[in-house]
Amino acid sequence: MDELDPVIHASARLKITATLATLPVGDQIAFPRLQELLGMTPGNLSTHLRKLEDAGYVDVVKSHQGRTPATYLALSRSGRRAFEDYLEALRALLGETS
Amino acid sequence: MTNRTTDADEPLGDPRATLALLEKQQRQVLNAQQTPVIWMYLIWGITWLVGFLALWSGDADGNPWFTIPGYVATPIFIVMLVASIVASAVLGIRINRGVRGASVFSGAVYGLSWTACGTAFAVLGTGLISQGLSPELANLYFPAAYALMCGTIYLGGAALWRDISQLVLGLVLLAVGSASAFAGSPGNDLVLALGVGGAFLIAAGTLQVRRRVGK
Repeated sequence: MDELDPVIHASARLKITATLATLPVGDQIAFPRLQELLGMTPGNLSTHLRKLEDAGYVDVVKSHQGRTPATYLALSRSGRRAFEDYLEALRALLGETS
Repeated sequence: MTNRTTDADEPLGDPRATLALLEKQQRQVLNAQQTPVIWMYLIWGITWLVGFLALWSGDADGNPWFTIPGYVATPIFIVMLVASIVASAVLGIRINRGVRGASVFSGAVYGLSWTACGTAFAVLGTGLISQGLSPELANLYFPAAYALMCGTIYLGGAALWRDISQLVLGLVLLAVGSASAFAGSPGNDLVLALGVGGAFLIAAGTLQVRRRVGK
């Protein structure tokens, strides 16, 4: 039986990766918009994003819009694969085949 | 190799509850993207329905039950049309806000296609009038042209986003728009009010019901 990836298997990070997985490949989402979709505080979101970034699951791109710094996020290739594996492992635990 | 961490302070329930949480979150994201679309369908449904019923009722040969003076019917139609265009522009910008990347180009071209096609059909109609198109035929041309424009662009949207609601809506609009001319003027106004307005309202209602039942 597959082990559930502990990086994703925590409610906040599960919600973050699930949200980022809805973005088409090649798209990135701004930090405030992601925060709005998740209903998380900036501090909490930053903490969990850092863990996902450390694991290589999330790409963080810092840029500027005019003079305002902007942070954009997306699942990395390995993050997308890890999320798909996680989903598959979860379904396998439930006896579902995908 | 990934650096794996565990969070003892964030317990997740059993796999079924975990999967439910994951699916609920993804549904919420899709709902957030879909809300402006439902509003657009609703707004355009009301505009086509009420606007064209007003035009139909503003013609002496139209509504058999009551007649609205032309100086009232036409402004109703124009005000609703302009308000819907402004609302669509605002809602359209909100659909993908905060997102950048590959899909932004597709969205921008899709948005631009409404303005470009709308202008092209208006210029063509004006050209036809300059070449002797009668007011009666112009009354058939313009609304049908815009129904066909909406139908065609919705088919493009369906292809871009694999969206069944846009596919069905596009096909219905093409059918109603092309058939409307056979009703003559002002009968075409009634056909478009019920056909196009009805299609938009049914699309809005269907999407709203689907999101309520979580599909």
